[in-house]
Amino acid sequence: MPDQALTPAPPLAGHDRSFGSIRVAAPENLAIVSLALPLGEEDAAERAIETGFGADLPGIGKSLTCEAGRTRLLRLGIDSAFVLFEHPAPDALGIVAAKLGDAAYLTDQTDVWCALGVSGPDCRAALERICPVDLHDDAFAVGDAARTVMEHLGVIVIRTGKDAFLLLSASSSARSFLHAVETSAANVT
Amino acid sequence: MSQVNRVSGGQLDRGRTLRFTFNGKPMQGHPGDTLASALLANGQKLVGRSFKYHRPRGIFTAGPEEPNALVQLRPGAFQEPNTRATVTELWDGLHASSQNHRMSLEHDLMAVTDLLSPFLSAGFYYKTFMWPRAFWEKLYEPAIRASAGLGRLSMQEDPDAYDKGFLHCDLLVIGAGPAGLMAALTAGRSGARVILADEDFTPGGRLNAETLELGGMAGAEWARAAVAELAGMDNVRLMTRTTVHGAYDHGIYGALERCTDHLAEPGGKPRQILWRIYSRGAVLAAGSTERPIAFGNNDRPGVMLAASVRAYVNRYGVTPGRRVAVLTNNDDGWRTAADLAAKGVEVIAIIDTRDAPAVCDVPGARHVRNAAVADTTGRKGLRSVTLADGQMIPADCLAVSGGWNPNVHLTCHQGGRPQWREDLSAFVPGDALPPGMAVAGAANGAMTLAAALAEGRASATTRLEDLGITPAGTDLPRAEDEPREAAAFWHVRQGRSRAWLDLQNDVTVKDVKQANAEGFRSVELLKRYTTLGMATDQGKTSNIAALAVLAEETGNTIPETGTTVFRPPYTPVSMGALAGRARGRDFRPYRLTPSHEWAAANGATFVEVGNWLRAQWFARPGESGWRDSVDREVLMTRASVGICDVTTLGKIDVQGRDAAEFLNRVYANGFSTLAVGRVRYGLMLREDGIAYDDGTTARIGEHHFVMTTTTANAVTVFRRMEFARQCLWPNLDVHLISTTDGWAQFAVAGPNSRNLLRKIVDSDHDISNEAFPFMACAEISICGGTPARLFRISFSGELAYEIAVPARYGNAMMGVLMEAGAEFDAVPYGTEALGVMRIEKGHAAGNELNGQTTAHNLGMGRMVSRKKDCIGNILSQRPEMVRDDAVKLMGFRPVDRTQPLVAGAHFINRGETANMENDQGWMTSVAHSPSLGHSIGLGFVKSGDTRKGEIVRAVSPVHGTEVEVEIVSAHFIDPEGKRLRA
Repeated sequence: MPDQALTPAPPLAGHDRSFGSIRVAAPENLAIVSLALPLGEEDAAERAIETGFGADLPGIGKSLTCEAGRTRLLRLGIDSAFVLFEHPAPDALGIVAAKLGDAAYLTDQTDVWCALGVSGPDCRAALERICPVDLHDDAFAVGDAARTVMEHLGVIVIRTGKDAFLLLSASSSARSFLHAVETSAANVT
Repeated sequence: MSQVNRVSGGQLDRGRTLRFTFNGKPMQGHPGDTLASALLANGQKLVGRSFKYHRPRGIFTAGPEEPNALVQLRPGAFQEPNTRATVTELWDGLHASSQNHRMSLEHDLMAVTDLLSPFLSAGFYYKTFMWPRAFWEKLYEPAIRASAGLGRLSMQEDPDAYDKGFLHCDLLVIGAGPAGLMAALTAGRSGARVILADEDFTPGGRLNAETLELGGMAGAEWARAAVAELAGMDNVRLMTRTTVHGAYDHGIYGALERCTDHLAEPGGKPRQILWRIYSRGAVLAAGSTERPIAFGNNDRPGVMLAASVRAYVNRYGVTPGRRVAVLTNNDDGWRTAADLAAKGVEVIAIIDTRDAPAVCDVPGARHVRNAAVADTTGRKGLRSVTLADGQMIPADCLAVSGGWNPNVHLTCHQGGRPQWREDLSAFVPGDALPPGMAVAGAANGAMTLAAALAEGRASATTRLEDLGITPAGTDLPRAEDEPREAAAFWHVRQGRSRAWLDLQNDVTVKDVKQANAEGFRSVELLKRYTTLGMATDQGKTSNIAALAVLAEETGNTIPETGTTVFRPPYTPVSMGALAGRARGRDFRPYRLTPSHEWAAANGATFVEVGNWLRAQWFARPGESGWRDSVDREVLMTRASVGICDVTTLGKIDVQGRDAAEFLNRVYANGFSTLAVGRVRYGLMLREDGIAYDDGTTARIGEHHFVMTTTTANAVTVFRRMEFARQCLWPNLDVHLISTTDGWAQFAVAGPNSRNLLRKIVDSDHDISNEAFPFMACAEISICGGTPARLFRISFSGELAYEIAVPARYGNAMMGVLMEAGAEFDAVPYGTEALGVMRIEKGHAAGNELNGQTTAHNLGMGRMVSRKKDCIGNILSQRPEMVRDDAVKLMGFRPVDRTQPLVAGAHFINRGETANMENDQGWMTSVAHSPSLGHSIGLGFVKSGDTRKGEIVRAVSPVHGTEVEVEIVSAHFIDPEGKRLRA
C-alpha cells in the first residue's frame, strides 16, 4: 500500500469572493445524486421519494428543500431529477440508495459538476451578462430551475433565495466557469 | 482658438471648459458638446477629405447619418478610425485627427484625383487596371490599396474589454423622442416591464433640437421631466448611448451600449456591451432623417442639412455660419431660418423650390420663390451660392432641406419592404412588420409633434392589450402641430457641375445616370455598381434621392424602382463588441483533466483536443525533441508499465430494465449476452450504415452499463442515443446520463501493470489473471476504501487496465500510481505515445472512422449482427457497401525501411498512372514505430485482405512524395494477442 492516501481536490473547493455586494462562493461538500424514474413504475418511485425524503418530487423546472433544509430535490425532466445535499465523503450514492432502494436508477453526479452560489442584491446585474434565462423576480421564483448555456458552458441555474442563485456546471471546465461568473461580477461593480 | 461661433442657449454646461485638439490644434468646448458642435464653435469648417476625389469636406449633419465628418480618435492601440464627430461626446483631453489625406488636411496631395474624376466614375475599376496583367499584383493592387480606405487601424490588439448581456421586457421602446417617451410612459405607468433605449446621451430625440412647445414648456424640458419620471420606476430600464441596431427573430433585438466611449479612460470596465433583448412587444419610435437636394458642387464645407443647422443652434449653442442661406422644398426648412434669426444669425435668403407664399416671417431674409441653387463657390468653405437663373448670393452656410425619410430600417430586417407615400414623398413601414413590433411617430410617417405623441401612446396601448396588461390612462400633453407641407424636388437639373448624392462614397447624379445607361438599371445593381449607399453611413442621406434619379432615368415611379434591402446593423458595430469576451485565452472554454496539475508539474506538453487540454508527451531533461520523448514512452510502456490519463473519453451511464436491449439496437454487435462483470468492444453505425464511433461498454449490473465513447464524439453519441431513447423507442425503460467529468480514468499498460495495481487495490479484490481475465470489470476499492472501477481493456495491445476514481481524487491518483510504479520505472505517457501504440496494434481511431467507412471496410463486417436489428443494419448491406473488392483496413510498411510514410497518401498499383481512376485507397494513420524501428501506417486499400505481401506505391501529390509499401497485417505488435491475455 502506498504511503500517500488519496487527497480530494474538487476544482472550486473553498472559493469565496465578493465583488461589492455580490458574493461568489462555492458551496462546501455539495453532494449530487441523479435519479431516474423507471418507465411504468413512476408512481412507486415517487412514493419512495416521499417516504424517503418527506417531500413530493417537484414539477419539472422546479426544486424544493426538505429534511429541514438540508436537502434539495431538483426536477429536471419527465423522468429525471437530482438530489443535492451536504456530504463530504464519496459515498453520497449509498445514502440516497438507502432511502430509495431499487425504486429509482441512481448515479453519483457529485464530481461531474462544480457549483457556485451567486448572491447579493445586485447579483442579477452580474448574471444578466451571461445568463439568457429571465431571472426577474416575477419570472423566476424561489426554487425555479433551468438548464441554459452561459459563455458556451452548459449550466443549471437554481434560484435558492430572494437574491441568491446556485449555478451548476461541468467540473472539467470549472476554471472557465469561474472566470465567466467572476468577470460578470467584476464588470458590474 | 476661441469659440467664435457660439450663440446663446443650448444644453451646455458653460461653467466647465473642455480642452481638446483637432489635428494638433488646441480647441475648447463644454460638457454637452459633441466633437462636431465644438469644432463648429471653434470655426473649424474643414474636417476631412472625400473618399475618391479627396475634395474638402465639412460637417453635414448633427446625427448618426453623418457622411463627412469622420475622424480618428484616441492614440496608440485605442485608435479608432471612421468615428462620426457628430455623435462623439466631447471629453477633456480628446485628440482627434482627420482622415484620408496625404500631407495635411488643408493641402492634400491626393486632391489631384479630383482632376482625374472623368476617369474615376462609376465602375471605373472594372474598366481600368486591366493591362498589362502582370502589373496587377506588383503595381496596381498595392497602389490602390495604399490609397483606398478611409481611416487607419492601429494594427495593434484592441486593449479594450467588451461584454455581452441578455435582457427581458414586456415592451422595448426604440427611441426616446416624443413618440418613444409617450410609449414608455404609457407602458411604465401600467406596470409593464419596459426597456427604453436611445442612441443619444440625452434622451428626447428632436425635442432637444427644436424650439417646439410641449405641455406648456419647452420640448427639451418636457423630455427631461418624462425621463425623470421613467427613471423613478423600478419596472423601467432606461438605456442611453444604446443603439438598437437589429430586429431579429422571435422578438429578439440586438442593441449596442456604449459605456465608456465618452470618457477619457475606460477605467477597467467594458467599453461596450452587446445586448440581446428578448421582448414580448416593441415600439419602433426611431424618428426620421432629413434628406438633401442635389445640385452642382453641393458638397462644399458649409453646405449642411437644415434641421441639423438648427440643432446646432438650439441644442449646442453654436451657429455653423454667420451668413446663412436656406434651400428648401418644404415648410420645415423655414423653421431653420426662423430659429437662426431668433438667435441673431443673419439669414440672407430662403430659396424655396415651390411657388408658394412665405411660411413665416424671417426678418432680413429674402424669400426667393420657385427657385433652386445650381452651383456654389468656395473650395475649402462655402463663399456663395449661384441660383439656377445665375444670381449669386454670398453665404458661408447653406442649410438644405429636401424633406424627411422615416427611419424604417428595423421594420425591414426580417424581409419586409417599405411602402411609398406620395404625400410625403417618402417610404414608410410596409404591412409585414416583425412580429410584435408597432411603429410610432415620424418613423411611421406621422411627421408632426402632436401626431408623434398620439401614436406613441396608441402603439404602447395596443401592445399592452395584446399582452393582457391593462394600460394606465395617460393624458397627451398639448403640442404644436407644425406646418409640414412639402413638394418633391430631388435634384437641380441646371448647371454642369457634378452634383453629389452619396457624399461618403463620392457618388454623383452623373454616376447614377451612367450606371443606368450602361444597363445597371435595377436598384440592386445600381447600388453595387456605383457603390452608392455602401459606405459606413449606409446611404442614410443618399439612398432615396438616388432612387429618384434612377426612376427619372428609367421612366418608372419611385415605388416601382423599389429599395435595396435594409439589414442589421443600423449603425456600425465594432468587431470587439461582436466578439465580447471570446478572444485570446477565453475564446472558448477549456476542459482540464483531473490530473492536469500533476502533468503540468511533471513536464507535460499539452495539446488541444476539442476543448480539452491533454498531455501530449512528458519531456525529460536531455531529450532533444518530441520524438525522443514519445519513443521512450512507447518503449518503456511496452517493456514495463506506462500510465495515461484517459478521462476525456465519453462515459455514459446506461440503466434500465431494457438497457441491454437498447444497447443491442445502438451498437452493431450484440450486448444482451454480455455478462455482468464483463466489458465488450462496440461499434456504432449511423442510419446509413457508416461506422461513426466505437468504444467499450461494461456491464456492472443486471440493468446497469457504463459505455465509453471516443473523446471527439462523446456529445454526438449521447445526443443520438438520447434521441433514440426519447423518440425512436419511448417504450423502453432505459435512462442515460453523462459521467465523463465525474470519473478520473487512467490507462495502466504494460507487462508490470498488474504488479503495479496490486499495490493500490484493496486486498479484498482479486485481480489475478484467473479472477480478473481480459475484458473483465468490477467495482472495487483502493487505498484503503476509496471507491474505484477497474476495467481490463487495452488500447495499446499490452497487458493493460483502466482504473477510474471519483474525479476529485484524480490528481492525487496520478501521483499514487507513479509512486506505486516507481519500482517498475513507470512512465507517464501522453496522446502521442497513445497514438503510436494503437497504430502498432492496428486499432481503428478517428482517422479510420472518418465518415466514409463501414464495418466491412474496417474488417469488422462480421461484427454487424444478423440476429438482431440495430441502427444502420439495413443500409449497411447495400450492394456497393459490401463489395468483395471494397477497401479494407490493412497495415503498411515501407519497402525501404528508412523512408517515412505520409498519411493521406493514396495507393497506386505499380506500373499504373497516379490518377483518380487508378486510386486503390489511402493511408489513414502513420507513426514511427520505436518497437520496430521504422515508419508504419494503417490505411484502406481495395481487397486489402487478399493482397498481403503485395507491394504498391503510396503517392502523395500534396507532399510531392512517393514511397513503395508492402501490404501487411494491421497488427504489427503481438498479432495473436498473447500479451493482452497474460
